[in-house]
Amino acid sequence: MAKMTVGLSTSSIDKLTSVGVILSGAAADDMEVDLFVLVNAGHAFLKNKAENISAMSEDIQTSEEFKASLEKVSSPSWLEFFEMAKELTEVKIHICSLAGKIAGGEKMEDFIDIVDDICGIGEYIESIQNTDINIFI
Amino acid sequence: MTTEELQAINVDKSVDARGTACPGPLLAAKKAIGEITSGQIMEVLSADEGTKKDIPKWATKKGHEYLGTVEDSGYYKIYMKKG
Repeated sequence: MAKMTVGLSTSSIDKLTSVGVILSGAAADDMEVDLFVLVNAGHAFLKNKAENISAMSEDIQTSEEFKASLEKVSSPSWLEFFEMAKELTEVKIHICSLAGKIAGGEKMEDFIDIVDDICGIGEYIESIQNTDINIFI
Repeated sequence: MTTEELQAINVDKSVDARGTACPGPLLAAKKAIGEITSGQIMEVLSADEGTKKDIPKWATKKGHEYLGTVEDSGYYKIYMKKG
């Protein structure tokens, strides 16, 4: 099984959606995915915040326009993409402890159910040393 | 297979993914292929241009036999035999 490692460092809804689409493709291809939530990405995985993410990385659209565009083409939300990918293939979501703390979460119960564990940067480095595809967003 | 042969084929599983954009049809195909047995035939209905290329490549890579694509009014019917 080929492996993909994703370093995710943003909580912007457009980039989260991009990662969700990539995870879907990896799932269809039966890839194993290690996704590391780094620095600013912790916010998106907090309980009570994940479904209300509205930051955008670019001002080409507002988040409301972006969400409307997705709905128009019946596209799942970023969170639904992540959940589907986890159902279809082995996707592990690791919260870097620093990212968790920046967002205000320190324990597993602070995060949504799709999160698998809280880790240190060493695990990310080990993963990218032993992966087939390495993506940083 | 020819268009006529594909149109006459009896499918064991039909997946209607016309309401979804990429990667919806691919994920629908991935889920549905697990519900049929080797040698059975599945069709995926999609109106998404990207999917028209994606699913044949995916099917072949995963060891299934891509049988062909038929264009209907505003959508595609993509046929494969499970490997």
